[in-house]
Amino acid sequence: MQKETTLATGKSNKPFITRGMKDHLVAYSFIAPNFIGFALFTLVPMIFAIILAFVKWDGSNPMNYVGIDNFIRLIKDTTFHKALWNTVVYTIGVVPLTMACALALAILLNQKIVGRNFMRTAFFFPYVASLVAVAAVWNFIFSPTMGPINNLLHTITGIPIEDLPRWAADKDWAMFTVILFTVWKNMGYYMVIYLAGLQGVNPELYEAAELDGANGWKRFTNVTIPQLAPTTFFVLMILVINSFKVYDIFINLFAGADNQLNDSTRVLVYQIYNTAFRSLDYGYANAMALVLFLIVMGVTIVQFRGEKRYGQ
Amino acid sequence: MRFKKTMGIGLTAMLAAGMVAGCSGNNGNSGATAAPTAAPTNSSSAPADKGNEPVTLKWALWDWEATAYYEPLIKAYTEANPHVTIEYVDLGSTDYMTMLSTQLSGGADLDVLTIKDIPGYSNLVKQNHLEPLNGFIGESGIDTAAYGGTVEQIQVKDEVYALPFRSDFWLIYYNKDLFDKAGVPYPTNDMTFDQYEEIARKVTSGSGADKVYGAHHHTWRSAVQLFGILDGQNTVVDGKYEFLKPTYERILKLQDDGIIMDYATLKTSSTHYSGVFYNNSVATLNMGSWFIATQIDKVKSGESAAANWGIVKYPHPEGVEPGTTLGTITSLAVNKKSAKKDAALDFLKFVTGEEGATVIASTGTIPAIKNDEVISSIASIDGFPTDENSKEALNTFKTYLEMPMHEKSADIEVILNENHDNIMTKNTSIDKGLEDMNKRVELVLSN
Repeated sequence: MQKETTLATGKSNKPFITRGMKDHLVAYSFIAPNFIGFALFTLVPMIFAIILAFVKWDGSNPMNYVGIDNFIRLIKDTTFHKALWNTVVYTIGVVPLTMACALALAILLNQKIVGRNFMRTAFFFPYVASLVAVAAVWNFIFSPTMGPINNLLHTITGIPIEDLPRWAADKDWAMFTVILFTVWKNMGYYMVIYLAGLQGVNPELYEAAELDGANGWKRFTNVTIPQLAPTTFFVLMILVINSFKVYDIFINLFAGADNQLNDSTRVLVYQIYNTAFRSLDYGYANAMALVLFLIVMGVTIVQFRGEKRYGQ
Repeated sequence: MRFKKTMGIGLTAMLAAGMVAGCSGNNGNSGATAAPTAAPTNSSSAPADKGNEPVTLKWALWDWEATAYYEPLIKAYTEANPHVTIEYVDLGSTDYMTMLSTQLSGGADLDVLTIKDIPGYSNLVKQNHLEPLNGFIGESGIDTAAYGGTVEQIQVKDEVYALPFRSDFWLIYYNKDLFDKAGVPYPTNDMTFDQYEEIARKVTSGSGADKVYGAHHHTWRSAVQLFGILDGQNTVVDGKYEFLKPTYERILKLQDDGIIMDYATLKTSSTHYSGVFYNNSVATLNMGSWFIATQIDKVKSGESAAANWGIVKYPHPEGVEPGTTLGTITSLAVNKKSAKKDAALDFLKFVTGEEGATVIASTGTIPAIKNDEVISSIASIDGFPTDENSKEALNTFKTYLEMPMHEKSADIEVILNENHDNIMTKNTSIDKGLEDMNKRVELVLSN
């Protein structure tokens, strides 16, 4: 009896769960559903994928640990190099061009012009349109001999149709075509983000600049651009990540009925797909995926550093 | 700015998740598939009362809508076996074998599997997804000789995992009206490559929308590359590819001269080979015998304007017997993890056997069991060209598989396809492309 009392008082004096811990537990309980989902569907597969990069596995038979063999193969694999190179070129082409077009559109459509809402919708439309459908239309418009673009170019310049670029069907023009397509398709989305950013710019800053005698260009470079820095950072990051992850656009523009990309259009994710599911080489494919992951991680870290110095 | 940072980390995590999910989607599941493996033992004790127990079989196939014989086959089988219901799972024709392998690794409850090509078959065997059939063939007294040697061609280490039900071979289709208009004599059942090329050049005419191309080679590797193996001197799994050079030179020359359509354009526009034949854009079409049934159908429905057509035997190298051609077999297999193996095997026996062959032939498709009776039944189908040459064209002398059975044939196929695409789009020269094939296939073979 006495013992129990001691225990009871001991408990009440020094509760098992302190108030601070209780707060933490409440907080964790709110995070838990999300975190459990993340752990189950992201963290565990991620760790599994990293392990897979060090084995040889066809998906059914037992795995064999091969150490860093997969990475040594990567260094020598010219097909992988080609895919990596194409992805980098694509990213370098798409990112600045999309940002410039989206910003220009946002500034234009932030003015009070007639039909502003219609124009905003029109520029946003390609982003929501089905990729499969617009890629087919695009390929028709840019068809080397029958397409309106080349026929128009032929009429204007008088250059014979056979000598005009063959766009998606031409190994030297394919990358240019796909960059153009991506910019056209996605700029509407980033325009909307920039438009939102422009709403956040304090109008007093423009007034102050004007009083100081700044002209339109000065106001743009000294007020708009710095004020938009957080937005630009966000857009840049999403664009780089999306460009490295690209797959669907290339498949729809170039791959044809048998899903085959060649040296001028092969991208990383396609190469990963091909290696994993066609050659059943899951280990090697995961080594590639790990490289892609590290690249994107690296880019993101660099961007954070730059952002810290410049954004605040 | 902290918000941005969190967001950034979130995005990176999302990317990583996408990456990993993409590649391990079926890995994650294969642990779970261990459970169903135990199931077959239960059901294999059940076949005693095979007669009446209702069974539903799932059949993996592609292009349900466009294929004439699936429905009649199911109908014929279920009429004789009313307790069986057959459901189909259409995995689509693009990357069908990849889809199938992914589904099976993920433990999908498919019972009967259609095998579309050899590389995919070799992968499934390696992955241990297919039920070995030697025992079943012996027990049920199936005579493999009836398949004309095709069963032996898909043996893996003396065991066979599928039985063919279709055996297609390549032919030249031609549009008689276009030949008449050009005043060029029709192709014959005995053409060397040079004669074939000469005819194609002669019958090419016009420009712009009225252009008639003399020949058509679809974007598949087999439609171009495999002229090279018809002399029987080389195969595409030996690891040496210099012998393909004359073939690529010939086809690229035809492409440069505008005798055949440009490969890259065909690909980016996803042009189907049937479309160009239907609308009188090509005078000859290099294609497999599966197109006979489709062409007959589309002429009847009015979709094909090439109503006056014929077929002749595939062109051959100098000094090789006419009727030497490329072949593709389509087979059926049973999922090793199926819980209804006995019912599945019985259906397989029906489709790949004599009865199935009759049903398949009645739709204009060439079954794997191919005898004189089957040939004349196809040639007598309403809509089949009436000239003697077309009927004679159905007789083959020797068929080489598009991709021979080889342990590494899936890996080799990937390399060959890549280089084929690079050569045809001029991303690489013929020499460099063949060199790359040599180098990489060598590596695959030595591994």
